[in-house]
Order: sequence, then structure tokens, then C-alpha cells
Amino acid sequence: MSDQVLYPPMPKPDSVSEFFWSGVDRHELLILRCQECATYLHPPKEVCRTCLSTNLKPERVSGKATLVTWTEPRKAYDPYFAAHQPYIFATVNLVEQEPLRFATNLVDCTGDHLRIGQPLAVTFREVAPGCTLPLFEVVG
Amino acid sequence: MTMMQNRVAIAGVGYSETGRMLPFSDDQLVTQAVTAALDDAGLKQGDVDGISTTGGVSMSIGSLLGILPLNWFFTSSLYGPSFAETAVMAMDAVASGSCHAALALRVIRQPRAGDHPIAAITAGGPADGPTRVGGQQQWTAPFGGSLPAAFIGGLQMQRYMSEFGAKEEDFARHAVVQRSHAMRNPEALFRDPLDVDEYLASRYVSKPVRLLDCDYPVDSASAVIFTTPERARECRKPAVLVDSWAMSAVADIDMALLDDFTSNAVGHCSETLWSRTDLRPADVDCAGLYDGFSIITFEWLDALGFCGRGEAPQFINDGHTGPGGSLPTNTDGGACNVGRRHGANFCIESVRQLRGECGERQVPGAEVAVWSNATGSFAGAAILTVDR
Repeated sequence: MSDQVLYPPMPKPDSVSEFFWSGVDRHELLILRCQECATYLHPPKEVCRTCLSTNLKPERVSGKATLVTWTEPRKAYDPYFAAHQPYIFATVNLVEQEPLRFATNLVDCTGDHLRIGQPLAVTFREVAPGCTLPLFEVVG
Repeated sequence: MTMMQNRVAIAGVGYSETGRMLPFSDDQLVTQAVTAALDDAGLKQGDVDGISTTGGVSMSIGSLLGILPLNWFFTSSLYGPSFAETAVMAMDAVASGSCHAALALRVIRQPRAGDHPIAAITAGGPADGPTRVGGQQQWTAPFGGSLPAAFIGGLQMQRYMSEFGAKEEDFARHAVVQRSHAMRNPEALFRDPLDVDEYLASRYVSKPVRLLDCDYPVDSASAVIFTTPERARECRKPAVLVDSWAMSAVADIDMALLDDFTSNAVGHCSETLWSRTDLRPADVDCAGLYDGFSIITFEWLDALGFCGRGEAPQFINDGHTGPGGSLPTNTDGGACNVGRRHGANFCIESVRQLRGECGERQVPGAEVAVWSNATGSFAGAAILTVDR
């Protein structure tokens, strides 16, 4: 079993989300933005919820975020995450807009000294062969 | 008086047998619950002409139980506040005159092996290559956020603790209070005394959520018969009036991406509820506040105005929610102790309190009760009163 490669549940991109995941593969964080009213949308949709425009385009964002909340799942319902405990599942807010929530993992830290508003930055990690995800690390 | 007030009443309530891995089909559970509710009301199948259900299919249940023709029926998509959605639909149907008497049902089963959507799709294992998840799940599952105890309970509880300074000991004391109610309820599944140390020794499911913060998965069906006050007054038990009700959605179904993790739909629903009644929080004698995770009861205590925002820990610690307190809360013991009925237990317990049927746990002279359901993206709540 030890040499078996474990994968997390991997994203299955669709026509609306394909840009996002192909951007992640290139280590770019792309968020859909309304070209009429400048609202960012995540998860991406086919219409802007603010002005109902369908003129939406992916734009590269800074990758800076602040911490909204987090948790440390302990129940081993999935082989990958059972093998990678402890880990931190977190909701962060991308600094380009409030609110612009994004779900992710925090890496290279423990849950002990985290606080609301903690500055974070995106880091692209190959969590399994061929599987890159946008994760966040504490900065400053 | 607003247009809604006292246009709907509750005539009967009932449960199926409730427990772990019961040897009953969904149809058997529904039959038990509906039979109990009809008997409680002194009604027959032909007296009911509406069915609202979360779990199963309304017209199939009508056919199963000989409750046909139906003048009105509703089957939940499951993307709603569970029993509260079912109940709100039934109340709307009776208030509008679409039907005379509506059964509101919640049918729920303890998950069996392979039921978990992520467990099911990963069952093939790495030999089949990576599992792929689409739709809403693609934004959380790759990060290990698919457990409700994580993306609902964990995220909300951690935010509440960080925002308001709540401690694990506060949740421990709440669990102890809930258990003290359960000890007075012969139908509760957990009735042994609980202390703070025992709570703090229970394992994390998704830190800071511990096992004793989670509702207890069971097989169970719950039934409530909503009808007009006039009809309810002709039934076997004293009519319980529905003063007001509300249902809210504030976000898409992905509860990891909420704008607000400590108020959310609970806050919106509470505001709407109070806008529809002449009653005030001080008028409420007992409460049934959803506890799929214990943090949710804290949110409802704050949002309904029984205390200020973030003050639920102090309110609980001061003894208000316990037996003999100013607002005995979750007097059946809550879903952590009586089993997961997704809100139906809080409606049924409220009815029983207002009828004075609660024995050792009876809130003396209870005339006004509030019950609630769900959190995060969606929520529902209602205020019940005795028939004065």
C-alpha cells in the first residue's frame, strides 16, 4: 500500500470553470470579473449577480488574501486526506473585493496561532502527480 | 396583527420508532409517524388533503397511506432548511386555502456504507485514477472540505470562537445543559449525566467541532399535521396556533463560501420572523433551536435576540437555557441527544410543551415557543402559541 499514489478528489472542470483550473496548472490565480460593473465572481458563473451582464472575463488576481475562518477535519472519509492529517481547511477572502470568498487549504502552519484577518498568499502545490491546487500560506 | 398571524394551527404530531440501523424501510417509518400523528389529532386519512415532505416523494406517500386525492403536495429538493422547509410549505398551503390539512414530514436515515457522496466516488480507489468532482463540489472537495462537520460546523464554530472569544468550555457547558434536559426525557437516546471533562475528552470530528457537538444520526420519520385553527379546535388535543413563520436563503448551497459565518441565514430569518409578529423575545417561554452542530444553537440564541450577538456563551453559562431557566432551550435534549430529525423534533417538542405534555421536563405555564432549523445558506423558524 505504501507505494500507492493517493489523489485528493480532483476538480472536474466544466465550461464555466475550465479557465480557472487551467490557470492553476500554469500557477496563475484567475477570477472571473464582470467587464461592465467590475464585480469579481467566485465560484464563476455565466452572469454577473450585481448587474446581470454576461460580459465576464477571467482576470489574474494578486493571490493575496486574508483569513476568514478555518477547521481541522479529523474524520478519515477519504484515503488521501486520511493520509494527510492534520490539515487545515480554510475560507479566505481574496483582497481584490469584500466579500470574495475562496475555499482552500492553509499549508506550512498549524492551527494554533491563526487569527481572523491573518494575511495570506497563494502558493501552487503539486499535491499528487499532475494535480496542482491553489493553496495559501501565512505571510508577514 | 399581521396577515399571517394565527391562520394556521397544529392538530397532531408523531414520530416513528427512532434508533440506529432500524430494520424498517422508509415506507414503514413514514407509516409509523403518520399513524401516530393522525391518532394524536383524532383524524383519519380522508381528513388530510396535503402532503409536504423532505425525504421520499409526497404523492408516493399519499398513495402508500391512502391519502388521495391530494389538493396540494410538495417534495423537497433537499436544498433547503429541511423540516422547516417542509413545514413552511405546509403552513403556506393551509394559510392560502390550497388545502385544508397538510402533513409535513421529515424522513431521514442514518447514512449507510457508501452513502457519502465523496466516499462513494472514491470507492474505486487510486487504481482507477484520480476521482473527479464537478459542480459546487469542485470548489471544496479537492481541499478536503466535504464533511458537513468541516464546511458547516467547523468553519462556523471556529469563526464564532475567534470573533467573540468563545471557548471550548462554553460549548462543553452547553452540551451538559442539553444533556440535563435529555435526562428528563424518557424518549431521549442519551440520558446519562454528562460533565465538562467528558465533553472535553470527546474526539474532534473537525476541530473545534467535537463528537458531542454533532447531532446523532438515526433512522426516523417525523410527522406534523397543519390545518386551520377552526379544524384544529375540533381535534383530539388542544390546538396549538402558529403565530408566525419565516424562511430565508442568503447564499448558494456551498456553506464554505458564506459572506457571514456567525449570522448568515439564521440572522435574516430571525429578523423576518420578528417583523411578522406582535410578540417579542421576552414573551417566549421555551425554545427549540436547531443543533445539527451545537454552534448553530448559539447562532439562533444570538440572532433571535435572546441575548446580544456573541453573547450566547454567557447566556448559557448564566443558566437561562437549562431546566428552570428563563428560556429552557432544546428541552427534549436536542438532536444531539434524541437523534437527527433535521428540525422536526423542535417543532414537535414545542407543541408538546404548549400542550403541557412534557412531564418532568415541562416548562410550567408555557404559552409561547419558538423553534428553528438550519444555518448558513438557508434557515427557517416559527413561533407557536397556546390557543388563548
